[in-house]
Amino acid sequence: MKLQSVNTPVRGRRSKLLTAAVFVFLVTFVGFIVLLIVADALYINRNAVIEVLTAGFIREALWLSVWTSAATTALSVIFAIPVGYALSRYHFWGRTVTDTVVDLPIVFPPLVAGLTLLVFFNQTAMGKWIEQDLGLKFVFQPKGIVLCQFVVSASYAIRVTKSAFDGIDRRVENVALLLGCTHWGSFFRVSLPLARNGIIAGGILTWARAFGIFGPLMIFVGSFRGRTEVLSSTIFLEQSVGHLEVALAVALLLIGVALVALICIRLVGGSAMGQP
Amino acid sequence: MIRTEKVNFRAGDFGLREVTLHVRAGEYFILMGPPGSGKTVFLECMSGLRRILSGRFIIGGRDVTALEPRRRGIGHVPQSYALFRHLSVEKNIGFGLRRRGTGRKEARRRAGNVAEQLGISHLLGRSVEGLSGGEQQRVALARAIILKPKVLLLDEPVSALDEATRMSVCEELKSLQSKLGVTTIHVCHNREEAFYVADRGAVLRDGAIQQVGALSRLLRKPRNEFVARFMCCENICEGEAVRSPQSPSGCMVRLGQAEFAAPGQPTGKTKFVVRPEDVRLSRDDQSAPAGGIRVPVRVAATQDMGMYVRVEVQGPVRLVSYLSHADYASLSGRVAENLYATIAPEAIHFLGDWQVRHEERVPETEHLEKGQTVIT
Repeated sequence: MKLQSVNTPVRGRRSKLLTAAVFVFLVTFVGFIVLLIVADALYINRNAVIEVLTAGFIREALWLSVWTSAATTALSVIFAIPVGYALSRYHFWGRTVTDTVVDLPIVFPPLVAGLTLLVFFNQTAMGKWIEQDLGLKFVFQPKGIVLCQFVVSASYAIRVTKSAFDGIDRRVENVALLLGCTHWGSFFRVSLPLARNGIIAGGILTWARAFGIFGPLMIFVGSFRGRTEVLSSTIFLEQSVGHLEVALAVALLLIGVALVALICIRLVGGSAMGQP
Repeated sequence: MIRTEKVNFRAGDFGLREVTLHVRAGEYFILMGPPGSGKTVFLECMSGLRRILSGRFIIGGRDVTALEPRRRGIGHVPQSYALFRHLSVEKNIGFGLRRRGTGRKEARRRAGNVAEQLGISHLLGRSVEGLSGGEQQRVALARAIILKPKVLLLDEPVSALDEATRMSVCEELKSLQSKLGVTTIHVCHNREEAFYVADRGAVLRDGAIQQVGALSRLLRKPRNEFVARFMCCENICEGEAVRSPQSPSGCMVRLGQAEFAAPGQPTGKTKFVVRPEDVRLSRDDQSAPAGGIRVPVRVAATQDMGMYVRVEVQGPVRLVSYLSHADYASLSGRVAENLYATIAPEAIHFLGDWQVRHEERVPETEHLEKGQTVIT
């Protein structure tokens, strides 16, 4: 294992101790996570794997998990760009409070998000108007999965996107204005491309959060097989009826899909998540 | 060409106060001041990047105060160059042309021409990441001048360069400016850099213009102590001036035990400056230059500054003299040795209100009222 490159300073014995110490923590953490996954893999049997790979309801749950989390990510990024830009560039009255409210869903216990959505659509006039008069049904509907995931995970995209805009030197935008751009032009031609990596990173965090969400979905949309059942709900349902092997096999499928997706996004996104 | 009239700006505790300037068409003008004096803010206000409280900016006879930055006809090279990291060098240079509707091919051709003019043709295909400070500076300059602006604003354009490169780049800037004939305001806080590129300039302090005029005038006839110190004048003395019955245009100055005649008509307690290079040192009374004020002094300290030797002497007042190495060798003035310091009367320049009244009669610099200056 070669830890030092030509670009690092010459290290003394004490510096090497620091390197050793940080790597002990790194290996412990990564090793523990891998160990958990291996333990799951050793527990399941061949029949469980075959059931997971062949059962139609699991394929439906997988597809529902994939498209709802992708839709949530797209929706979150669409919101994160203007919201992050506004919080980064404009100083308005109540900005601190607004900024805090944006962060609130991060600290919400996920169950609270589900309960809050349920109360909003079932108990408030506006919620009822949306569901009944506008005909936009969310409660116990696949659309509700996207809404629930959005409420819980959009804040991550906004936070990271705001940081990306914060990191852009204002002088670059100013030069664009002097070179002939309008504010719109400066935003689309300079700010947005420069914030690209941050936006991708925000999207990755949002997707990861949305893909594995479970608690609020059970409350807001339930877990109706073939309609609102996502992979995380399948795991819960299977283990609650005593099919622990199947539950673990589904969990491994979920982990596998997440792993492949994260690696792909990192490869496409380049340095967005700190890759060279 | 550029006229700013009573420009006021405020941001928190900092502001520009009644800044009034007039820069001639095709002139290379220097704006100097210590860090935090408002030089960059002033350029940003002129560019329309900051909203001023009151006043006007007139460029080429047109009031541009209310115009958007892109409509002011200003090319701006900011301090950090602010290159677009997501674009290649060629696209950086052609950015302005493309935004103004020039076709892709034409923008490439013109970017190539400007790059050739600045000697950066070989960089066109490269990303701006990894360019040296000098290369970045040229790319930023190319990006600004490709649009043929009426006014070029350079915000400390060479501050990121090493000493040797800085002077050669300054030379190039000056020659490019005279070739293009573009009116240029160059911000810096380095006296040598200022003399390298410009003939006239202004000194800014806490958002207010302290003095405007020829650089030689700022150097030798500073309007106040701040300008004198900023222009590295180390000899700022305080004495008592009285009218001289012998010379109606001069006065007598008492400095401790010494008394001498000087040009100018200040009265009472007054401050005056003498450039260190105007203080001559000699070993004895006979070898001292004829004429001028001669006082016995003792060498307090010497310091080899590389290009010259700085000699600090103590007499009726503390004086500093800059000597060439040859002069210093012939003098061999070691610490604690007794010497004579000679100052020509015309090297003495009085500071303060008297100076302001005196400068009102100087045609080059015209003072409208206190704190407000117009260069014509």
